[in-house]
Amino acid sequence: MSLDTIKPSPGFLEHLPIEYQDLVNHGQYGKKMKASDMGKFKELIEEHPMCAGCAMTLFIRLVFIGLPNPEHSVIVGTAGCGRLAISQGNVPFIYGNYGDTNSTASGLKRGLELRFPNQKKDVIAMCGDGGLVDIGFQGLMHSWFRNEKFATIMLDNEVYGNTGGQESGMTLKGKVLKMAPRGKVDEKMDVMGLAKVAGVDYIARIAPTNPGRVLRTVRRAILVAREIGSSYIQAYTSCNIEYSIPTPDVMKDAFDIEKERYGFEEIVSDRAKKFLDEVEKKKK
Amino acid sequence: MSNAVAKPKDWVPKGDLQKEISAEKMLLELPRELLFITGSEAAREAIKRANIDCAISYPITPQSETMQQAGYLYDEGYIKEYYRAEEEIGVMSATAGASRAGVRALTATSGPGLMRGMEAISSWPGARVTPVLLDMCRVINTPLAIQPDNIEISFLLNTGMIMLHAENQQDFFDYTLAACEVTEHVDVTLPAMVSVDGFFVTHARGPVSIPSDEYKLNRRDGWRSAVPAMDNENPPARISRDAPIQKSNFISYHMHASWQQEVFAALERSGKYFEKLLKGRIEIINPEAEDFIICSGSAVSQAREAVRQEGENGRVVGLVKVKTLRPFPTTSIVNALKNAKRILIPEFNQAGWMHKEVCSVLYGKCKANIVDGPRVFGGMTMPTEMVIEWLAKARKDFP
Amino acid sequence: MFLQKNLILTRTEPGGQGGYQFLYKIGQYGVSLGSKPQEEIQQIHWEADVIRYTSETPLQYEVCHTTELASKTLRFLNDSTLNEFLEKAFNYFNELEALEKMLPGE
Repeated sequence: MSLDTIKPSPGFLEHLPIEYQDLVNHGQYGKKMKASDMGKFKELIEEHPMCAGCAMTLFIRLVFIGLPNPEHSVIVGTAGCGRLAISQGNVPFIYGNYGDTNSTASGLKRGLELRFPNQKKDVIAMCGDGGLVDIGFQGLMHSWFRNEKFATIMLDNEVYGNTGGQESGMTLKGKVLKMAPRGKVDEKMDVMGLAKVAGVDYIARIAPTNPGRVLRTVRRAILVAREIGSSYIQAYTSCNIEYSIPTPDVMKDAFDIEKERYGFEEIVSDRAKKFLDEVEKKKK
Repeated sequence: MSNAVAKPKDWVPKGDLQKEISAEKMLLELPRELLFITGSEAAREAIKRANIDCAISYPITPQSETMQQAGYLYDEGYIKEYYRAEEEIGVMSATAGASRAGVRALTATSGPGLMRGMEAISSWPGARVTPVLLDMCRVINTPLAIQPDNIEISFLLNTGMIMLHAENQQDFFDYTLAACEVTEHVDVTLPAMVSVDGFFVTHARGPVSIPSDEYKLNRRDGWRSAVPAMDNENPPARISRDAPIQKSNFISYHMHASWQQEVFAALERSGKYFEKLLKGRIEIINPEAEDFIICSGSAVSQAREAVRQEGENGRVVGLVKVKTLRPFPTTSIVNALKNAKRILIPEFNQAGWMHKEVCSVLYGKCKANIVDGPRVFGGMTMPTEMVIEWLAKARKDFP
Repeated sequence: MFLQKNLILTRTEPGGQGGYQFLYKIGQYGVSLGSKPQEEIQQIHWEADVIRYTSETPLQYEVCHTTELASKTLRFLNDSTLNEFLEKAFNYFNELEALEKMLPGE
């Protein structure tokens, strides 16, 4: 439909909860927010039940701010810490079955394209490392090989946080976690490489150290998915509980890991690059 | 095998030329032409008239015959979106995804494929999505086999989804079209499975009378639904529309319980629509009989012939054919069987799920001796003679 | 579609193999027509036997491979060749019935 779905009929606004009034009057709908605007507008997500100091929560908050069209977005998730926050956001959220995000998103996106031929709907699959590359591996890879037009965002905390700290495919080799009592035997999975092999049009690795960059990366991924083909963001979102990172040091850890092995990297296909150049030039 | 050729610019999808009508008109009013076609072809003819937006599937014997036909229908423009997905968890998830978008989605599978997709399928009713799943039953137990056996149906009986069991090719056509409409009524908003015994029906020809393909069912109206489609076309609210109700508190338990109650209440509400479109949720032959056979699926065909042969020999045997396994037509069955003296329940599976169903609804309401069989499975056949022998034994055992 | 005239019974294949059996009857003779499931759908075919009825109630017959029509079970791959045979058989049975009526009663 349009932004009109958000606006109450005349005379009704004052009777709605203050939360809703704030979303209508001071929300991000129809605007493009910058990182420096944080704290000055009503965000799509505010309250959540995540652990104190959780870096994943910061990243999810930034993803919501980065959505280019939140009024036409649907997020698909699966079991894991992330969905506890995502489900509190002001965007329809499909909390599916275990590891089904990219299969569900494939059907959803195609269905939405049939129903709304004149209105692009952004579908974003956002969930943890285990949900995407362990239990969801098959659906993830095939959605990429099919070049499905939605964005995939991995909240990579390198552990099964929500079930209490078991190793995942994204855990580093040697880390002692539950179900890896002698340390993880295998290497961290190279999902960036897999995405490249599968021909994903926009691939990015990022840590939540630079909010502006996160917003730009999220927008790029969603716009490429909307117009060109699959996109993938792999975000380092540490688990301060399972990795025993003191709460005040969570951001320090993000900077350290970024410097050590999680530096910002973009892999963009030629056609996606051409498209992004055009879009970003136009905006300037 | 040949290379793909792009559609010409002036290509018109054939589905665009069909006229939209209700299932009532399609199934009960339009004139029909008699064909002699396989169950898979009957499914194709139903899909052609069902106004399917999105069909997704993964091949498995004996389903492949149908879903590859669906591919040709997509190519001709009767289906708008179609693809072969990664495997059945992917199929069932994507089918639900399409249904959540507010379009009419259909898929099909068989035995092991159904089991593989089970986690997703069993989540459909609670998600209040409305896809139609065609299920061509086959053996699921080890050793692996492709033969007919409908044990898989028992795994879905308590999911909350609508379940129909077709006797033959004709039923497979009619039930599929009925399911496509009933699932989408606002007071239903549930998925449906239309099962048929594989091979015996899918890979055999039978008489099927069908209306003209100039017609198709009315399109799904994505706005009409018990829960909103996941299309972000509703005013935003800071609640998840798929609430993860996992908190350990009384409100969460209560939400979950009431949600399940509503799913099963909706399932019961679907009964009235099938009552009309299928001309009753059960079929009764010889209602005055003392000896009755009750069954569903292709066991009905064997029972039907046994009833005819017994009649030729002066023995009146009644038959109750169950069309809707869910909602189970409890009242109709109790009324049909309350005066029966002996009841036989032939089945094509080892567990005897229909026997358990019938026993549980008749308990305390009927004095008949209920015979636990005859039963064949693993692809074994059930000759009419076998049903007649069991009837004779029942008369001897329970004079 | 195959011919429907003279068809007196349509039933599931009573042996339990799946598929259908159709019984045609003219006088004492007729045709038993069967179509069974096949793993390869393209291989589904018709099997036809000339039969002679031995009883009306219960309906009983024996396979009759001694007429001029057929000395064995016939296979047909499509409806048109089947229908040709059925028409031929119906004419044959009608003639046979007429001839039998002309025979002096025993």
